[in-house]
Amino acid sequence: MEQDFLLLLPIFFPMAAGILTLALAKAKMGRKAKLTVVFGALVLELLFTILCLMRGDVSVTLWQLTDTIRISFHVDTISRIFAGLSVSVWLLVGCFAFSYMSHEEHEERFFGFYLIVEGALTALSFADNMVGFYVFFEVMTFTSLPLVLHEMTKPAIMAGLKYLFYSVAGAFMALFGIFFLAGYGAIGSFQAGGILDASATAGHEGLLLASAFMMIIGFGTKAGMFPMHGWLPTAHPEAPAPASAVLSGVITKMGVLAVIRVVYYVIGPDILRRTWVQTVWMILTLTTIFLGSMMAYKEKIMKKRLAYSTVSQVSYILFGLSLLHPAAFIGAIAHVIFHSLVKNTLFLGAGAIIYKTGKTKVAELRGIGKEMPVTIWCFTLVSITLVGIPPTSGFVSKWYLATGALSSGTGVFSWLGPVILLISALLTAGYLLPVTIHGFFPGADYDYGSLEKREPSALMTVPMILMTMGAVALGMFPGVILNAASAAAELLF
Amino acid sequence: MDFVCNFPFFSIILAMFCGILSSVLKGPWAKRLCLFMVTAVLVMSSAVLAYTMKTGTSYTYSMGHFPAPWGNEIRAGVLEALTATGFSVIMLLSLLGGMSHIFTDVEETKTNLFFILVDLLMSSLLALIYTNDLFTAYVFVEINTIAACGLIMIKQDGHGIVAAIRYMVMSLLGSGMFLISLSMLYDITGHLLMEPAKEAVGAIVASGSYEVPLLVVIALMSVGLAIKSGLYPFHSWIPETYGYATPAASAILSSLVSKGYIFLLIKVFYRVLGYENVVSSKVINALFVFGLVGMIVGSVKAIKQTDTRKMIAYSSVAQIGYIYMGIGLGTKAGMAAAVFHIFTHAATKSLLFISAVGLYEVSDGKADYRSLRGSGYRNRAAGIAFAVGALSMVGFPMLSGFISKLMFATAAVQSPHKMVATILGLAVSTILNAIYFLRLVISIYSPAEREYGADMSHQASRKLKVASLLFIIVNLVLGLFSQPIVNAIDAGLSMFV
Amino acid sequence: MLAHLAANMEETASMILFGIGFTTLLLHKNLIKKIIGLNIMDTAVYLFLAAKGYIYGRMVPILTDGITDPAAYTNPIPDGLVLTGIVVSVSVTALMLSLTIRLYRRYGSLDLDEIVMQWRKEER
Repeated sequence: MEQDFLLLLPIFFPMAAGILTLALAKAKMGRKAKLTVVFGALVLELLFTILCLMRGDVSVTLWQLTDTIRISFHVDTISRIFAGLSVSVWLLVGCFAFSYMSHEEHEERFFGFYLIVEGALTALSFADNMVGFYVFFEVMTFTSLPLVLHEMTKPAIMAGLKYLFYSVAGAFMALFGIFFLAGYGAIGSFQAGGILDASATAGHEGLLLASAFMMIIGFGTKAGMFPMHGWLPTAHPEAPAPASAVLSGVITKMGVLAVIRVVYYVIGPDILRRTWVQTVWMILTLTTIFLGSMMAYKEKIMKKRLAYSTVSQVSYILFGLSLLHPAAFIGAIAHVIFHSLVKNTLFLGAGAIIYKTGKTKVAELRGIGKEMPVTIWCFTLVSITLVGIPPTSGFVSKWYLATGALSSGTGVFSWLGPVILLISALLTAGYLLPVTIHGFFPGADYDYGSLEKREPSALMTVPMILMTMGAVALGMFPGVILNAASAAAELLF
Repeated sequence: MDFVCNFPFFSIILAMFCGILSSVLKGPWAKRLCLFMVTAVLVMSSAVLAYTMKTGTSYTYSMGHFPAPWGNEIRAGVLEALTATGFSVIMLLSLLGGMSHIFTDVEETKTNLFFILVDLLMSSLLALIYTNDLFTAYVFVEINTIAACGLIMIKQDGHGIVAAIRYMVMSLLGSGMFLISLSMLYDITGHLLMEPAKEAVGAIVASGSYEVPLLVVIALMSVGLAIKSGLYPFHSWIPETYGYATPAASAILSSLVSKGYIFLLIKVFYRVLGYENVVSSKVINALFVFGLVGMIVGSVKAIKQTDTRKMIAYSSVAQIGYIYMGIGLGTKAGMAAAVFHIFTHAATKSLLFISAVGLYEVSDGKADYRSLRGSGYRNRAAGIAFAVGALSMVGFPMLSGFISKLMFATAAVQSPHKMVATILGLAVSTILNAIYFLRLVISIYSPAEREYGADMSHQASRKLKVASLLFIIVNLVLGLFSQPIVNAIDAGLSMFV
Repeated sequence: MLAHLAANMEETASMILFGIGFTTLLLHKNLIKKIIGLNIMDTAVYLFLAAKGYIYGRMVPILTDGITDPAAYTNPIPDGLVLTGIVVSVSVTALMLSLTIRLYRRYGSLDLDEIVMQWRKEER
């Protein structure tokens, strides 16, 4: 295999930059100079990644861990989608954080780990086999932990601990799935349609399915799938807004990426089709979708509500994957991108509100649209997108998910799925739109006298506007994403 | 015969003479002599390792030139040399890391005693590794026991003596069983040297006679050495023993002494009893089951502890369980995994013991994990070292623990009957490990509940820093460059047969 | 069965003694009795070895009257083992006794359970 060492650049450059930033904590430099370093690193990383993604399907072996296991990287369509998404979002949220983090301490620590996590994410997107993937999955967990417990208060530490325990437990479940399957060739390079050695697995189907299930549940922890979703609503309100944005918008997607790699690139969809694993998986995702929406609907605290919304929405993606059907797969991939943009904007909006007013409860946000019109307009547009009203992007992905479900031939689930998607969409409208409605139309008894302009700085609004535009525009012109997703799907089915 | 071939004998005798010489030296000189001895042993063992790797064969070295069935022999192959090298590295680093405590924990007039005991321990460990004669093994088992007992009680307080006597009682039970089993083996084979004894065992098995005595020998030998290495349910002496000794002693006891017996057991299995006979005798299944139970029980007990030292000690119970589980798998891959785990555990556990001291030194000397809050900031070197050790124990990729777990799992897949139990055991115990080790790491890095005075924020001594750094490097090497070591273990095990 | 046991009288006796010694060392609470148990256990092994080494009607393995035929002498190796074993067991016994003296001075008791209880109390 030809070695393309350029591929290592977008993985290790941000890690090095992150360590440099951590080292800058004691340097006598102005805040501006330090942030310029971080900004430069984020922009360069975007350029490097794009450069790598345009080089075609290249590979590089970093390390030969043992004779049979190597840590290597390879770029394919799925890598392009996930790496492109994570580095772009990382830059935008980073810009927002420059302004937001000014009222927090230890900024260097935040940005240092922020950059290191970016390297881990790129590595995950590029990972070429299960062991390498697992290595960087753990690295991502451990380096994103400081982002969660940034404030170092007791609740923040408890939230961090919860995040850590859920992640580690999930990762170990997945690891033992890998161990089980290692003997059947599961640690070779990813390949569309699965790589298991058919002659070796014959007669071990029960074990195979059990390991697949363990890996789905284990990696599903990061994606917030029921019953391992508990960390999301605890971790989000405690983390600073940019951290919750990327946690929800990008890091949960790495759980999705893991599931894609396991199901479609290691085990192969054909082995799982019409087995108890698929059934249980579908039941779990549908439960998560419904429960997540219900909990979000009942939740009073803004960031917690958004966290439950993430739980529900990421399971849309997982439901799409669980159908093992091309159209649903395309819908799931599209929803990865759309949900990431939307949820980042929502969290940044909530962050901007906290930054300017300190309000955390939904009920306190009456009239907020008059005070921060740009923020709330972005919030409104992405809310509509998430609900899935045409012609926004949420509609496109949900359409694919629903048609996929209907033609997947999974019996009762082929109609139950779309029904639950519909109910959940209504609930989504129910928990997101009140913010807009009360924000813009506070009612007759609202005291307009105390109203003041509190629009945040351009550093905060521009990323939100860009992501909103992205979310809406991709809904009208979804061709690029759908083409990429169908290219990937064609190889798989 | 090349000159290098003398090195195993030289290292045993050098260690022993250093011990004798140290009895007339003052503490600091005994220390220098001891460090010199361990370094010399390290150099000689690496030379033997290089030599055996190059020639690709093992050799026997007959003492006093008496030929095979009568004389006393030393045997050196790749695995022996590798183990000797690994043990001397760990010994050196443990001494280095715990050095400052040796001189504060031990009465001033008796510091040279500590080094005498270390010298004797080193000598007996090397003898256990290299010997080719069962009765020599027994004698050195006893020397090892006495030296270890001395290390346990070197602090001269009530704790130490009670712990020492409990250790002695368990150990003597173990060596008694070992002694009677080797007498019986001598009775039925007529040999004490390993090679002729193995031939005789082969003949006995082929003829079908003496089935019951052979089974009794296998069982007594396994149980005797299992008691001495602290396999569940014979682990009751471990927590007190490891928990209260001076840190260097804890590190040496947990990572080397018990491993010496395990190595001897492996050697006896392969070189005397014949591994296939052991496997078919079903004794191995008992080791497997107790190993598994030990993995779980040790971890559960560790979770219940609040004292950090006891937590680490109970974790040793679990890790010994891992090793026996690997032996109990009854395949070569399982055995290779067990041997690799001997190294992993030795490198990691001594790192943990050495660095944990640095942490409770800066927390008013309290060792329960709640008092350790924020100690990772007060003593940075110890904090980082502890975190690395804990992550390695949990099985974080790139560190040694990950590779051993991977090897256990891969080995498990090859033995169908034990696969599910092994992997479930690994999974449960890994998660249990994660619970208490991560709880510790988080607690040493969470902000302290109160301010500590300036005297509680002193940084680690340079020796501790160097030792921790080297331990971390050893861990990384085992985690990243494992293949050559695994190959060497495989080659060594093949030479055993 | 009984005939076998009677024919191998020494071995039977040594196994019984080993069992007695082992259980005493394991189960007795009194430290001195534990040490006695240890000695019984070791002595049982020596009896076993000596019995195995002795061949009825042969001489002590010391060259006598110029007879060089090995068939005239008993096997000397078990005797050597017994001697080595005695040395080991003497040193271990000495160590155990010294530990016991220290414990007795400190805790005023020879009962291991009681000592451990006192020790736990001190810890608190």
